[in-house]
Amino acid sequence: MTIRAEHSSHHFLPTSLRAAIIASSFWVLSLPMTVVSGSIAAIIGCLFSCYVVDSRLHQQPLSRLRTITIIGLSVVSWLFAIIISSFSVNSDIVASVFSPILTFNIAESIKWFGISASITFSLRTLAHRASYGAVIEILFVATAFVITLAAHRNGMIHRPFFIGDFALTRGIDPSSILMAFGCGAVLSLSALLMVENNQRRLPYHFAVLGVLCFSLLIYVRMFGLPTPQLTDDMGLTGQAQNGNNAQRDNPFRDGENDNNDKEAPVAVVVFRDDYEPLNGSYYFRESAYSEFNGAMLDYTSRDDMDRDLIEHFTSSRTETELLPGANDERKLVRTTIGMLVPHRNPFGLESPIAYENKANPNNLRFKRTYDTFSLAPEYDFEYLIGRETGRAAWSDEILQEYLTIPDDDRYQNLAEELIGNLRPEYVDDPFAKAWAIKTYLDENGIYSLKNEHAYEPDPAASFLFGDLTGYCMHFSFAATYMFRSIGIPARVGIGYSVPAANRAGGSALLVQAIHGHAWPEVYFKDVGWVIIDPAPQQTLVDMTTDPQNDLQQLLGDMLRDDASFQDFLESQQSSFIQLQTLLNILYAVLALTLTVAYLIKAYRLWIPTFAASENQYRLSYRAVLDRLSAVGMHRNFGESRESFAERICSNVPSIKPLTRSHLALALGNSTSESHPDSEWENFDLAVRRELNSNTATWRKAVAILNPFSWLLTK
Amino acid sequence: MSSDSVAEVEELPTAVSDDSSSELAEALKVLTALQNTVNKQVLGRDDVIELAIIALVADGHILLEDFPGSGKTTLAKALGEAIINGSSSDESIVPFRRIQFTPDLLPSDVTGVPVFDSNSNAFHFRHGPLFAHVVLADEINRTSPKVQSAMLEAMGEKQVTVDNVTYALDDLFFVIATQNPLDLVGTYPLPTPQLDRFLFKITMEHINRESELDVLDTYKERRDLSAQLNTVTRDEVLKARKTIDAEVVISPAIKTALVDISRNLREDDRVLQGNSTRSMVLLLPALQVSAALRGREYVSADDIELLLPRVLGHRIELAPGVADIEKVLLDNMRTPMEQLAKSTLS
Repeated sequence: MTIRAEHSSHHFLPTSLRAAIIASSFWVLSLPMTVVSGSIAAIIGCLFSCYVVDSRLHQQPLSRLRTITIIGLSVVSWLFAIIISSFSVNSDIVASVFSPILTFNIAESIKWFGISASITFSLRTLAHRASYGAVIEILFVATAFVITLAAHRNGMIHRPFFIGDFALTRGIDPSSILMAFGCGAVLSLSALLMVENNQRRLPYHFAVLGVLCFSLLIYVRMFGLPTPQLTDDMGLTGQAQNGNNAQRDNPFRDGENDNNDKEAPVAVVVFRDDYEPLNGSYYFRESAYSEFNGAMLDYTSRDDMDRDLIEHFTSSRTETELLPGANDERKLVRTTIGMLVPHRNPFGLESPIAYENKANPNNLRFKRTYDTFSLAPEYDFEYLIGRETGRAAWSDEILQEYLTIPDDDRYQNLAEELIGNLRPEYVDDPFAKAWAIKTYLDENGIYSLKNEHAYEPDPAASFLFGDLTGYCMHFSFAATYMFRSIGIPARVGIGYSVPAANRAGGSALLVQAIHGHAWPEVYFKDVGWVIIDPAPQQTLVDMTTDPQNDLQQLLGDMLRDDASFQDFLESQQSSFIQLQTLLNILYAVLALTLTVAYLIKAYRLWIPTFAASENQYRLSYRAVLDRLSAVGMHRNFGESRESFAERICSNVPSIKPLTRSHLALALGNSTSESHPDSEWENFDLAVRRELNSNTATWRKAVAILNPFSWLLTK
Repeated sequence: MSSDSVAEVEELPTAVSDDSSSELAEALKVLTALQNTVNKQVLGRDDVIELAIIALVADGHILLEDFPGSGKTTLAKALGEAIINGSSSDESIVPFRRIQFTPDLLPSDVTGVPVFDSNSNAFHFRHGPLFAHVVLADEINRTSPKVQSAMLEAMGEKQVTVDNVTYALDDLFFVIATQNPLDLVGTYPLPTPQLDRFLFKITMEHINRESELDVLDTYKERRDLSAQLNTVTRDEVLKARKTIDAEVVISPAIKTALVDISRNLREDDRVLQGNSTRSMVLLLPALQVSAALRGREYVSADDIELLLPRVLGHRIELAPGVADIEKVLLDNMRTPMEQLAKSTLS
C-alpha cells in the first residue's frame, strides 16, 4: 500500500503537467466549437482521464484489459455522450424541467466531457502501452494548436479573440503567437517524455518527432500553408445573429444571447466629412418597427410606410424615396461602412439618404462595403419645440398605423398623467410631451439585460407597469406606445448607437456587438424622424467597453484601402529586424556552422598524416576516437581511457593496445622513437577495418554525415 | 574479420623502453610468483591478495575487516611463507608471526624484552613477534591502546624501542591487522589517526559459491601444498620495490588528479574531515606497484580507480547522516578523472 502511495506521489507532478498541456489543447480546440460550459467540461474531462489513466492503468481492472478494448470502450462512451446530449437537446422533457438555456448548456457539457475524456483516455493508454503512443499524443496537442493557428492566420479575426486581437493591435502576425504557444506545448510534452521511465523509447520518440517536424517544415517551405476558406464568417456567428435582427420572431428575446462577445466588432465606419453629434452618440439606423401586428410592433408590410428606409442591398447607388426636412439644420455626411458581419439591410449614420456599393478592399475581412450619404442632424432639441408632428403627405391610414398601440388603456393613462405636469406654455407642444415621457423613463427605468418580460403577451406593458427594469427594446417600445397613445406618430428605430467618445479623434469608428440598439423615433413635420432616446439613469449592467483604438484604426485603414494589411504589419514592424532577414541570417549561420564543423571533422581525421612524430600519439589517437564517436562509441564523463577501451573492445579489439601505447606516451616517459609513425598508421588501419566490419550500414552513413560527431570525442 | 588483424595488433611492441624493461620485467616476475603462490593457497580472494601484495611492495600495511574463519590467517601465513629469508639476512627475523591481541597483552609481549643471561651476566634482548617479514595482528582492536600504540610505532618507524634501546625491524616488515566488524563489545576501536597508518583498509566480502566449493574440495591438497610452491627471497622483493620505485613513472597529470580529488573531498559538505596529505604520499608507491603488476611502466587512471577507495575509505569522516562513502568518493573523483583523461590528448 505504501509502495503504491509513493508510486503515485512520485508521478503526480509529471501527470499534472501532462494533463495541463492536453487540457489546454482541448480548451483551444473547443473554444470555437462550443460555449463556455462545453470548454470547461472538455478541460475537466481531460484532467479526469489523465489522472485516472496515470494512477489506475497498472491496477485492476484496467491492467487486465487489452489496449484495443480500452480504446473501443472509449469510442463507445464517446458515442454514448453524444447520444445523451442530442437526446436532451431534442426532447421536450428535459427542456421543460430545466430552462432551454440550461438544457443546452448541460448537453454541451456532457458532449464535450465525453469527447475529451474518451480521446484523452485512448491517448494516455496508448502512450503507456505502445511505443508510438507518446508521439500520437504530441501530434494531437500540436494539431489542436495548429488548427487554432490556421484560423488566426493572415490577420484573420477569429476566436478566441484575445489571442489574435492582442497581436493584431501590435502589428504582429497572430500566427507567431500561436506558433509560440504550440512550440511551448510540444516542448513541454517532449520534456515530459524525458522523465518517462522507459529510457529505451526516448531516442525513438525524438527521432519520430524530429522527422515529423522536419517534413512539416519542408512541406510549408515548398507549398506554403493552405489558404483559408472565403466563406469563413470570422467566427462572429453569434454577432451575425445580434446584428441581423430581421431573422428573429420576437425582438424581446435577444437578451437570451449570452453576453460574452459583446465587444466583438460588427462593422467599421469611416467618416469622409466632419461631423460630431450633438447628443453624444452616433446613431446608425438599419430598420424600424412601425406597424402594429396585433401583438407588437413589427417591420411594416406596407409599401407606403417607412419609405425613408432602404431594405435591401443593391449593386448600384440607391436613394431613399423620402428625404427628411429641415435641410438647413442638417449636414450632408459621407461615410464608408465595412460590415464585418452579414446584415440583411444596410445601415447608415442617421439619417441615411443614399447608399452606394463600394469595391471591397479586402473580401477576407469585410462582408460588404458601401458608402452612405446621410443628412446628419445638427439641430438641438430646442429647435423642435413648437413643431407639429406627422407628415403632411401621409394619408390618414398611414398616420393611423403610426398611432396604433395594443389595446391597453394604461399607456394612455400613464402618458397623460406624465404630460399633466407640463408647464402651461408647453401643454400642447408635442416635443415637450415626448420629452416628459422620456424623462419619466430616464428617471424611473432601470437598465438591465435580464429579460423577465420576454414571454409576456405584451412585454412592453409588463415592463412599463411592472418593475421598469429592462433594456433598450423595452424602453423604446414603452416610449413608442406612450407617444402613440397621446397622438404623436412614433416608431422604434433599430440599429447601432455608438458613443461619440469612442471615435477618439480618428476618422474611423468601430461598431461592436454591444452597440446594437433600439430607440423611439417621433416624426416632426418638416424635420423628419427624430430620435428621442430614453437613457435610464440606473443601470445594472456595465455597458462600457475597453477602447479598441488600435483595432478601430487598423480596420479603418483597411477599409479606406489606404494601407493593406501587409503594409500595416510592415509599418508596425519597421523598427524590428525583418523576419526574412532574420531567417536569412539564420540560414547563413547554419550553413557556416555546418561547413566549419565538417572542416574540423576532416582536419582532425587527416592531421595525423602530416604531424610530427612526437605528436602522433595524441593526434592519431584522437582521430581514432573521432571515428568511434561517429558510430556512437564515446567515453563517458569521468570514465578512464582504459575502462572505455575495455567497454568497447568487443567491437573494436585494437582499441586496447592503441590506448595502452597512447597512455604510455602521455603518462609514462616513453619516447616517440619507440613508437614509429607506422605503428600509429597500423592502429588506425586496424580500427577502420574493425569498424567497417562490425558496424551497421546506417550507422556508417550517419558517421559520415554527422558534422558534429567529433564534439563527442573526449 | 579479423582475428588476423587483432593478432597482428596484439603483437605490436608494448610501451616499455629497453634499458628499464628487463629490470621491470624481473620485478614483475617476482611479484607474479608471489601472487601465484598465495593465490594457490587462498582461493577466491584474488583481489585481496593483489592489494596485500601491492601494500607489501609499496611498504604499507593493511587492515582487514572480516568475520572469523574467512581466511585472513591463511592469507597472511601464505604470504609470509612465500618469502624466504635468503642468504644475507638476520637470523632473528622469521618469515611469519602471528599475534593474537587480547586486552591483557603488554607492549613487551609484542616488541620483545631484555632478558638477564646469567652466563654472560648481561641483558640480552629477546626478539618479540614483530621481528618478522609478515606479521598478522589478529583482532587488533581487542587490545589496550598502549599496545596498539607500540604496534603502530613499529609500523610507522620500522623500529621498536625497549629500555631506551632501539632495535630496527626488517626492511620488509609488513603488518596485516584484522578486526571483526560486528563483535564490538570490550574493544578499543582504532581512532582515525591510527587508521591513517594503514595503507589499505579492506572490507572482505564472503567469497562466491564456486570458490567456496573449491575451498572445501581442495582443502586436503592445499594443506600439504605450501612446501612445494615457488618462493621468492626477501632480497628479491626489496629489489623489486626499488626497481618499481625507480622505473614506474607518475605523470604530473596523475598527481594533479590526486590533489584535486583530495581538495574536492575536503570541500564536500558530506565530508566532515577529508583525507591527509600523508595518505596521498603513501598512495604513490602503491599506484606504482599496481601499475607494475599490470605490466605498465606508468601509473594510469585505472590504478587510481582501483586503489583510491581502499586508501581513502578509512581516512575520511563523513558528516552525520551520510552513509554511502563509495558515492561520495565517486562524485568527487569524476571531474578530476575526466581532466586526467582529457590531459592525454592535449
